[in-house]
Amino acid sequence: MCKLSHLTKLLYLLPILLLSLITGINNSISENIDDQVSEISSLLMCPVCQGQSVAESNSDLAKDMRSIIRKKVQEGESQEEIISYFVNRYGDSILGSPPAKGVNWLLWLLPLFSLIFGGLGMGLFIYRSRETRIRNKNLSDEKSIPNETEYFDKIDKDLKDIES
Amino acid sequence: MKLLSLITKIAIFVAIVLMIGILGYAIFGNRVLLKKSPLIGTNAPDFTVDLFNGSNLKLSELRGKALLLNFWSSWCIPCRDEAPLLEASWLKYRNKPVVFVGVNIWDDDSNALTYLKKYGSGYPNGKDPTGEILVDYGVSGVPETFFIDPSGKITDKYTGPLIDGIIDIFLEKALLNSNGNSLNKNGG
Repeated sequence: MCKLSHLTKLLYLLPILLLSLITGINNSISENIDDQVSEISSLLMCPVCQGQSVAESNSDLAKDMRSIIRKKVQEGESQEEIISYFVNRYGDSILGSPPAKGVNWLLWLLPLFSLIFGGLGMGLFIYRSRETRIRNKNLSDEKSIPNETEYFDKIDKDLKDIES
Repeated sequence: MKLLSLITKIAIFVAIVLMIGILGYAIFGNRVLLKKSPLIGTNAPDFTVDLFNGSNLKLSELRGKALLLNFWSSWCIPCRDEAPLLEASWLKYRNKPVVFVGVNIWDDDSNALTYLKKYGSGYPNGKDPTGEILVDYGVSGVPETFFIDPSGKITDKYTGPLIDGIIDIFLEKALLNSNGNSLNKNGG
């Protein structure tokens, strides 16, 4: 009787355990899909917004795009497939980071060139200003010598005059 | 020394102008591509749209006819501007192998129906509540109009309100394209 009672309890517990297991799995899948949608949306720029990604924008178009991304993720399409779907319709400009091809190379290389040439320019500027400062100092030193001599000569002369 | 300094200044100025120019082209050059649409020359994505008259329409069933596909909204002022022209053109091409289809987007049904009654659109008009059709066509605003040749290939896309003459030019081009154009590219 006691054994049967334990079995009955187990039978009662089993559906609850199964339900929590299924809910857990469902929540995990749902969170995974949400994460994927969020990640893909953040890689795409909203075509009608200024500097906002599809994930950030609240425009009608961005909402539609997010729901399409969700649908495609649920259908098992990969991130690359989904991104390529949008690129095929809106062009490369929909990508958050422009692909390194054609004229887009400039977007990647210009900051590097700016850094190199900017650094060289700054270095040259600092070098030149230091040179100028040293040259000016030397010039003023050269000029100060005769002035001081004249000054001391005048003092000597004045002292001699007083003494005499 | 003074001459060298002037040359340096000019070189810096030229370099800055050049950099801004190149950067501007790299950033804004792509926008021209966006307006041109990467879908031009590819097969028009197929769809089935629920029409406001209760029936539905499948795009692929219209093969063999040139198609004008117009995306619009009732709240869109430029759409209202182009509506009389669209209606007049539809009447003009009624007896030719040309079909006009309107797709209402980002709207609610009652406003769309009021708009259709007001502007008397006689050609099929449907709705895209999920936005699947509009994204499939790379639409980013209203109005946008696509011209599709009888083989189902997109020949042109026009962004903004249609003006007199544009419809004729693009439809004639789509009709001319009908002569033995094989479908090489796949647009979705």
